[in-house]
Amino acid sequence: MGRSEDSSTRREIRDAYIFNLPLMLFAAVFILLPVVGTLITSLFRDVTYLPGKFLGLANYKRLLLDVSFWQSARFTLLFVLVSVSIELVLGMLFALTLNEAIPGRGLLRVAVLIPWAIPIAISARIWELIYSYDFGVLNFLVTHVGLANSPVNWLGTSTGAFFALVLSDVWKSTPFMAIILMAGLSTIPRDLYQQAMVDGANFIQRFFRITLPLLRPVIVVALLFRTIDAIRIFDLVYVLTGGGPGGSTNSLSLYAFRYYVNGDFGYGSAISVLVFLLASLLAVLYIRFGKFTEVAR
Amino acid sequence: MIAGKHKFVLPLIVTVLILVTLRCAQEEKNFTFWIGGAPQEVDYWEKLVGEFEQNTGYRVQVIRQPTDSDQRRQGLVISLEAKQPDPDIFLMDVIWIGQFADSKWLQSFNPFMGADSSSTKPFFQRVLKLVDWYGDSLYALPVYVDGGLLYYRTDLLQKYGYPGPPTTWDELLQYSLAIQPKERNSNPNFNGFVWQGAQYEGLVCDFLEFTASNGGGIMIDNKIQLDYPPNIPALQFMQDLIHKYKISPPNTYTEMKEEQVRRAFQQGNALFERNWPYAWKLHQSKGSPVRGKVGISALPHFAGGESASTLGGWHIGISRYSDVKDRAWRFVRFITSYQAQKKLVLNLGWNPGREDVYRDPEVLKTLPHLSRLHDVFQHAVARPNLPYYSQASDVIQRYANSCLAGDISASAALQKMQTEIEEITKIYGQK
Repeated sequence: MGRSEDSSTRREIRDAYIFNLPLMLFAAVFILLPVVGTLITSLFRDVTYLPGKFLGLANYKRLLLDVSFWQSARFTLLFVLVSVSIELVLGMLFALTLNEAIPGRGLLRVAVLIPWAIPIAISARIWELIYSYDFGVLNFLVTHVGLANSPVNWLGTSTGAFFALVLSDVWKSTPFMAIILMAGLSTIPRDLYQQAMVDGANFIQRFFRITLPLLRPVIVVALLFRTIDAIRIFDLVYVLTGGGPGGSTNSLSLYAFRYYVNGDFGYGSAISVLVFLLASLLAVLYIRFGKFTEVAR
Repeated sequence: MIAGKHKFVLPLIVTVLILVTLRCAQEEKNFTFWIGGAPQEVDYWEKLVGEFEQNTGYRVQVIRQPTDSDQRRQGLVISLEAKQPDPDIFLMDVIWIGQFADSKWLQSFNPFMGADSSSTKPFFQRVLKLVDWYGDSLYALPVYVDGGLLYYRTDLLQKYGYPGPPTTWDELLQYSLAIQPKERNSNPNFNGFVWQGAQYEGLVCDFLEFTASNGGGIMIDNKIQLDYPPNIPALQFMQDLIHKYKISPPNTYTEMKEEQVRRAFQQGNALFERNWPYAWKLHQSKGSPVRGKVGISALPHFAGGESASTLGGWHIGISRYSDVKDRAWRFVRFITSYQAQKKLVLNLGWNPGREDVYRDPEVLKTLPHLSRLHDVFQHAVARPNLPYYSQASDVIQRYANSCLAGDISASAALQKMQTEIEEITKIYGQK
């Protein structure tokens, strides 16, 4: 009896490996290999017009002393912090609203999803038209309502450009937050709320005592996705500000990209590796401090 | 349905079909030519390539690249770095040639030309010297020559009693300060002077024109010297145009690229415009509000300086990894021939790289402004032809833009450019 059970578990494990093999192969070829390749490249001088040379960690040393790199890192992290926080709060509000039985809910859900369905490069072009100095919708509004006498140069200051990017990203990515949270909300049993209401818990108490704790693993996952996505922000910046004004919105990915285009693959790879490490570190932190396993138990 | 012993038949047939198609496709093409740009431009290129195919019997596969020049460059860098036999022939922006030549990606034209050195005679010798010769080798030929120009409103200058376009920056300033307030009474969006100030390559072109027209520039005596004293008042003047004199709009340093500048001028919202020659055809097109009211001249200069026009444009080159170089050279000869260059200027408005086409009676009849351009290109100044030019350009863009935004003084910006570019030179400047 024991023996056959043993062999059947073994077979189950073996089958699991076999079934997962294609996926693992896929991950190894298309994810692991490029990562390792980038890591190796980052240890070399790989400039198209210079002889290749092993540099050890010299590219990384150069990074640490690179003022523009730190400016990009500061911008990117601040961007992640601000935009993801706003997206979480707004996404939660949307999810809570759309989870209620309100009239036209189906239509509303679709409407909320639209920004997420538009490719980033296109939505960036749309925002470019909104912020435009001459014929932007925003300037049309503020000058006609009388908030300003003359048009505002929205992308003209570092702060202005920063918040313009945050706003565009929030518009684009809040739906994603909302969808994931909505899925999480639907798994919370209704009767928990009914019992709480019987006990006289008000809306705020119900939210903080039931919804939030039970939603925590979902929130962690949503934050994880959004954070990793936001750290790699590229297209929005590329189209909307090009890193300006004065390099103040040069995201890390854009910074690395410029080096690739300019023919310095080694240094560009070092930047990419750092972005990768940063994203991995944040992922680990989320999972660790999100007490993911404890709740998911 | 496909059961038993037949189950391998279908995959087998499919595989064979794929292999046969691949094989055919390979025999079909002789070489590939990568070209990007606006769709109607590429359409015309395909037509031109068709003529070449008819004349020679060769087959050319035209691969369409994106419009964006950064992306075109990225595609080429990846293929050439990987030593791919395709593309065989491609067009390069002038500023890539240094990197491409130094990376040994380009086939030298010297062996093809042999003793026949006269074959480069018809081209702008100054342009060849500035960009196409790298070391002892000729690596490219100009297909399309570009340079910065001053566009002005002939009707407005006449209305306010100015006999002709300004020749110095000070005159441009005086004309603008006089005309702008009066025109704003009827058009609040009117500006004296629009030019390219956003953080991108175009800013470096404008920066070079301002500084070079004051006796400065980026390279002085073959060395990068951004802190060269004449550069300070030139960059200061650029900042003042926006913040002190306010004859250039505040979005100059955020949004103003070629097209934004062209649109502002074309909508009748500017007295002067700095732009490339392509804007001429559009300004004079049907439905353009400024049609028939536009003049062009060389860009102004500072007192004691000389007018300078940044050299731009596209040059044709052959990959060193090409497996059909002789045929590719025939194609280069065809594209840079008198007839093909004439067709390009008549159909696309591309300014030829050959000087002789500028004297063609038919061309001059259709595009009379071309004789002016010919003179402008004679005074072209080039951005540094260095393999690490793009890195240097990034630095110039960043600090020049920051100065235009008013965040940093002109002398501090130039000082910082110099320091950072010296660092870059240390890393990339020696083998």
